[in-house]
Amino acid sequence: MTTTIIPKTIQEKTSADMSWRRIKKQLPNYLFILPHFLFFALFILYPIARGLQISFFDWKIMLKVQQFIGTANYQALLNDKVFWQIMQQTGLFMAYTVVFNVTLGLLVATGLKHPFFGSDFLRVLFYAPSILSVSVLGIIGIRVWDTQLGIVNYFVTTLLNGPRISWLGDPGMVIPALSATTVWWTFGFPMLVFIAGLQNIPNQLYEAAKIDGAGPVQSFRFITLPLIMPTMLFVVVTQFIAHMQVFAQPYIISGGGPGNASRTAVMYLYETAWKFFRFGYASAVSVVLALFMIVITIILFSVMRKRAQL
Amino acid sequence: MATTTVREPSNAFRTNLKQVRRSVLLWLIFLPMAFVVIIPLMYEFSMAFTHESKQLNFPIQWIPDPITLSNFQHIFVDTTLPIIRWFSNSLLVAGVGTAIIVFLSTLSGYAFARLEFPGRSFLFSLLLFSLMIPAAVTLIPSFLLLRDLKLLNSYAAIWLPAAASVTGIFLMRQHFYSIPSELEDAARVDGAGRFRIYWQVCLPLVKGSMVALAIFTFLGLWNDLFWPLIVLSNRETLTLPVGLLVIQQGSYIQRGLAFSGAFIASAPALLFYAIFQKKIIAGITTTGMAGQ
Repeated sequence: MTTTIIPKTIQEKTSADMSWRRIKKQLPNYLFILPHFLFFALFILYPIARGLQISFFDWKIMLKVQQFIGTANYQALLNDKVFWQIMQQTGLFMAYTVVFNVTLGLLVATGLKHPFFGSDFLRVLFYAPSILSVSVLGIIGIRVWDTQLGIVNYFVTTLLNGPRISWLGDPGMVIPALSATTVWWTFGFPMLVFIAGLQNIPNQLYEAAKIDGAGPVQSFRFITLPLIMPTMLFVVVTQFIAHMQVFAQPYIISGGGPGNASRTAVMYLYETAWKFFRFGYASAVSVVLALFMIVITIILFSVMRKRAQL
Repeated sequence: MATTTVREPSNAFRTNLKQVRRSVLLWLIFLPMAFVVIIPLMYEFSMAFTHESKQLNFPIQWIPDPITLSNFQHIFVDTTLPIIRWFSNSLLVAGVGTAIIVFLSTLSGYAFARLEFPGRSFLFSLLLFSLMIPAAVTLIPSFLLLRDLKLLNSYAAIWLPAAASVTGIFLMRQHFYSIPSELEDAARVDGAGRFRIYWQVCLPLVKGSMVALAIFTFLGLWNDLFWPLIVLSNRETLTLPVGLLVIQQGSYIQRGLAFSGAFIASAPALLFYAIFQKKIIAGITTTGMAGQ
């Protein structure tokens, strides 16, 4: 290091001088991030703080002065049986959807990883439902699950000779039906991400395993699964965040019913705020949901990081 | 001699046979899945062209008899369902929104990849951290803010919050990274300022990923239901997905009408997808990778 020869005082002075000049030269660089950052501050940072604040008020949209009520919203939420039922259902919906999306996505990606006759077509086809608006999905979904006229019961009765099932009218069936609809709609995304992840695994590993006598199941278990873990972490976390906040599928297809059987957390939040105009209580709902989700995300990260390093 | 000439084609034949067998095997697995994916789509298209009086037919008539445009005629005639207006609204919302997001994402993505300034890594981790906060918390405050700014029922209420989105920045940053710094140095020696370097040297090099980002952003805005449902209430200003909800709910219980509306919304998107599928799929895989 040549810098050690220079006396310390001079070195400090010049480096301070230099760094100040450098910072001054760098100042215009802020102009690049400033436009986005303004919006980011206004519509993401500020709302997070503001949402926390509103949750401590009995916020009514018509009032000029809002009434501070401390933790009353949270206390009411703790005793809100409907909310906890809804959280359980949302969790169930999320679990079904994430597990099926991830498993299906990974298995299909394994099949489509190496090109074969028509593999590009299948890739394009399997992602096609994701292009639909959720409103279109809803219109299709209502008819698909219809008890009398739906396609699912059409196949159940004609192919399987089974009974007509009241998919959307049965509290035990409605969440699986909505989840299946969502998997149909969204599994293409994890599939594509997994294909990219799988293609990053060097082929020599599989060849070496083959020479050592490993079958396809073993090489999936001992090569694919451990090496796909970073991709898996990304997919699971983004899928969890997306599906825990499900709104439109139950809102359109089942209307949250029968009873409250398919009402979800964001739907409850939406109705509390925009149907009953209880913004304070709805904010408390959003904060509890967010805290729950952040905790689960952190747990997912730490658990899967560990497994990825193994 | 003779044996080697015979063996060569038979080897090629064997590998060929192996590939054919693999294709057949995989198709046996994927064919039922392909059906499950296609059938609801076919159902939607078929019902859009089925006359209202035959919507309730069971078993389902997969090919409408007769194929009719009557649902479309109904929807276009009905002045309470201004679907052409909704369609153009959606085009406007998605078009302008995409332009804003792509521009801001390249600006910030460029800065985070190639420029130095104090607090860069802190600001970047702030953006990363915001991804962990569920959008659910920002809904109510954003709505109240837009109400106070008197922007409800205007498209600014969609564009401004959309401009805050961060995923495009990650994508663009990833691509700006891969530009060799010699190019910038050369431009700097020639006396170009930082904005010119960004605009004239670097932007053209990431055109491909800009297009990919634009495609997703457009599709995302075109399809979005939740936020427009919250901030738009004027029937004339609705976007297509919200309009579909009006057709679906409300007093319009005509099935054919809903299906033809769904067709109007999804056919252009699917066509768009069919044309740009290579770009879209490549874009998703790189975004997915960038996200890690």
